[in-house]
Amino acid sequence: MTAVGAGAIRPRSAVSSSALRRNSAYLLGLSPAALLLTLFFVGPSIWAVYTSFTNKALVGIDAARPRFVGLDNYQRLLSDPDFATVLLNSVVFVVGSAVIGQFVLGLLLALLLDHSERRRYRFATVAYAAVLLAWVNPTVIAGFLWVAMYDFYYGSLNTGLALLGLGPVDWLGRFPMLAVIIGNVWRGTAFTMLIFLGALKTIPSDIYEAARVDGANSWRRFWDHTLPSLRPIAALALLSITMSTFGTFILIQTLTNGGPGSQTEVIALYAFHEAFRSYQIGYGSTIAVVMLLLNVAFAVVYLRWSRARA
Amino acid sequence: MSIGSEARIQTIVPPRARPLEAGSRVEWVLMHIAFVVITVFFLAPFVWLFTAAFDAQAQAYIRWPSQPTLDNFVQIFEKYAFATALGNSVFVAVSTMVLTVVVVALAGYSLSRIELRQKAWITYAILLLQTMPLSATMVPIYGLARELGLRNSYLGLILVHAAIELPFLVWLMKGFFDSVPRHLEEAAWLDGRSKLRALFEIVLPVARPGIAVAAGLSFLSAWAEVLMVLILVDQQNMKTIPLAFYETFRTAGGYTEVQYGLVAAMAVLYVLPVMAVFFATRRLMVRGLMNSTRGL
Amino acid sequence: MGKVEYDDVWKQFPTRDAPAVRGLTLDIADGEFLVMLGPSGCGKTTALRMLAGLEQLDRGDIRIDGRSVVGLEPKDRDVALVFQSYALYPHMSVRDNIQYPLKVRRHTPAERASKVERAAKLLRIEHLLPRKPAQLSGGEQQRVALARAIVREPRVFLMDEPLSNLDAKLRTHTRTELKALQQQLGVTTIFVTHDQAEAMTMADRIAVLDAGELQQLGTPDTVYQRPANLFVAQFIGSPPMNILDAKRDGDALVVAGGWRIAAPRRLDGASTAVKLGLRPEAIDLALANANGAQPAEVLVSEPLGSEVIVNVKLGEALLKVRTAPEVRPDPGTRVYLRAAPEGVRVFDASSGAALN
Repeated sequence: MTAVGAGAIRPRSAVSSSALRRNSAYLLGLSPAALLLTLFFVGPSIWAVYTSFTNKALVGIDAARPRFVGLDNYQRLLSDPDFATVLLNSVVFVVGSAVIGQFVLGLLLALLLDHSERRRYRFATVAYAAVLLAWVNPTVIAGFLWVAMYDFYYGSLNTGLALLGLGPVDWLGRFPMLAVIIGNVWRGTAFTMLIFLGALKTIPSDIYEAARVDGANSWRRFWDHTLPSLRPIAALALLSITMSTFGTFILIQTLTNGGPGSQTEVIALYAFHEAFRSYQIGYGSTIAVVMLLLNVAFAVVYLRWSRARA
Repeated sequence: MSIGSEARIQTIVPPRARPLEAGSRVEWVLMHIAFVVITVFFLAPFVWLFTAAFDAQAQAYIRWPSQPTLDNFVQIFEKYAFATALGNSVFVAVSTMVLTVVVVALAGYSLSRIELRQKAWITYAILLLQTMPLSATMVPIYGLARELGLRNSYLGLILVHAAIELPFLVWLMKGFFDSVPRHLEEAAWLDGRSKLRALFEIVLPVARPGIAVAAGLSFLSAWAEVLMVLILVDQQNMKTIPLAFYETFRTAGGYTEVQYGLVAAMAVLYVLPVMAVFFATRRLMVRGLMNSTRGL
Repeated sequence: MGKVEYDDVWKQFPTRDAPAVRGLTLDIADGEFLVMLGPSGCGKTTALRMLAGLEQLDRGDIRIDGRSVVGLEPKDRDVALVFQSYALYPHMSVRDNIQYPLKVRRHTPAERASKVERAAKLLRIEHLLPRKPAQLSGGEQQRVALARAIVREPRVFLMDEPLSNLDAKLRTHTRTELKALQQQLGVTTIFVTHDQAEAMTMADRIAVLDAGELQQLGTPDTVYQRPANLFVAQFIGSPPMNILDAKRDGDALVVAGGWRIAAPRRLDGASTAVKLGLRPEAIDLALANANGAQPAEVLVSEPLGSEVIVNVKLGEALLKVRTAPEVRPDPGTRVYLRAAPEGVRVFDASSGAALN
């Protein structure tokens, strides 16, 4: 064999066959996971896109032989006054429970607990565990617990108000959106709190010591050092909880099931109801596709930000 | 560094010595009032749950049972066939755990060691899947499972529950395997082992904490998840605890005749394993769940 | 038996621009101790890993005992590798680490026990057998890694900088032991290092690599005394060879400061501008003037106990001269230099290749 120039050694194609051969064992190792992901993530997405162009139903003639209806479902969705309400509800729910509730409360809790750690306040651990406990239990349990809390005649909330001499409040009837937002804040705040607690611990303490030497008091230190160093992670946390809140289903379904009327009907419930209550799988899939597209948009921004951060 | 390790919110930090500062008396009082308020808000529903479960005449408000009793627990087994649901749940959750651990160990290891230019894209795609809300794919999964005959079957439940946390767990395991030096398995290959056996004999024992997290999280997820059960199961003998609880809550609680004690007893049995597993492995789990942004 | 041949081996990593190994051709005799020496990134570790089967080659062939091993899995090549990190299995005891390759090869328990016993005795680690790797010092871990390689009785030992994680004193000691062990076992050994002292003390032959190419293959004496090019000349030796710009003028070479040095007799090439190489010990330093000696000024003297390195300014150039411990001139002293005729090396100024 004769020596050749360096440039001639290796073809620079996208996936060379030698690269595939070298990695064949690893590609094989990825295949079971790839199969499951295809079956339950990719497959359903494709199925949803396909079905959204048909009039497939759960029962009747359209169940057995769905027809291709083109963009009919999408046109219907755009002109559906219910869908506008649902979108508005979703925005209110996300802003109320994720942006205002979980984010602000989570940040405050993290600051409080971080501060307590420095002060060695033991009781902080109990509060911390309580917040975590609400987070780890299954969502349907959270729904049930708050159904009981909100119970008009005997619920703990109204019983508590009565002790203060205040009249019973029909939480789920009069303020359904507020009620589901409180339930979701109760359940989900731990996530934001943990993120900020982690971020607070990474702030090197020499910054504080330097600031103290410079004569900054604790408020100045907080505004000038603590908050700015939380900013990058705050953006990620916000986007992340926005995504998960946007998909909220079980909690609202157990608390109000979208009612009264459609006051708490958010997008995930709407897709479910159209598919299973009205038996219109094609239309339900159309809503699912819209959800997926919105989610991909959020996720791309999220991944971009987190890459930029590193 | 691959994008996988960057794209997540990192919270693991080495312990550091923190300066101790003494606070004023006013501050102590204010802070402790805040603790009490927080604790009451987050804990009150659980206090109600655990008192109601042992109260034969449970009400929707918190009260100490006048005569603590196990009646509610006896009833759910006698009248609501809870034993079947319990058996199904244990079987599905354990099977899911075993399947998930094998699949994510293989995939996480492969993803960690593969040398393709497209590696960053594969990781990116997995993270993208991880953010997909279940509630969006619920309708299509229902339709697809119906066509594939995966409804009302253990196989369907196990497969779907294994898939739910898969993107996150693959990514998590990749991180664990990234921290296992390649020299270890290379030494095993030279000592005469095939890649697969070197993985099981040398790499996996070293990555044990990661395996434990994957096992714990997949068990918890399969045990607690209700959405998929709701759309995949409608036969009585296939019910798992989440569905049994959901149905009892819908018929015996909430809207019609209120039997909070029964539902609470069921909820306690549903939630206890979750709490036990979670608090026994709190540190690992917080770290793991932190990265799981999926909500229902 | 363990005869190893590299035959025009090329390797390029997809992530890098330049090939890691370019056209490496190398024959290693059975029982030889060959050291691959070069700076980091020179391709020596890649060359070793290709022989072990941990990297694929792009072209060329690698043979052990005349049979190509290209395409064979690492497990089928019958070579043992001692890693820089030792790669001990952390969850196994020292005994299990050492007998792991025997277990894999289905040796009987009795056989395993006796082989482990023998290897442990050879390396004096019998008392460590029940411990876990994390409980061992660096030097002990290194011995366990060696024992794990030895029990296999492989055709070839491969060692990837096995001494670089040891402290200086232990490193010197282990180097001697390792050489003795290799002579006792007589197994072909390929040892990769960037430390020229290790190479000089242990090797039967040294293969010097740079930028993926073999620069010179020869005994330690040859590469030291007769470096094939400027790279080898400067990489081997501490302090390194002095390199000076020189002009050919008839039978003489003229360097900075007008110093005329007699040119070696057989000198290739025709160009007048060359590079002149002088080892620090090839320069004779005197305090008194003598006929034909070149005057120069001392910059600083560095006493090393058994010798002194005197830094001398000659025009713009700085020369390092090795002297006896009692010769320790103060800075500013005027000294007189003379080149030992047999120590003069001449290199082509542009290609760097040796001309004599």
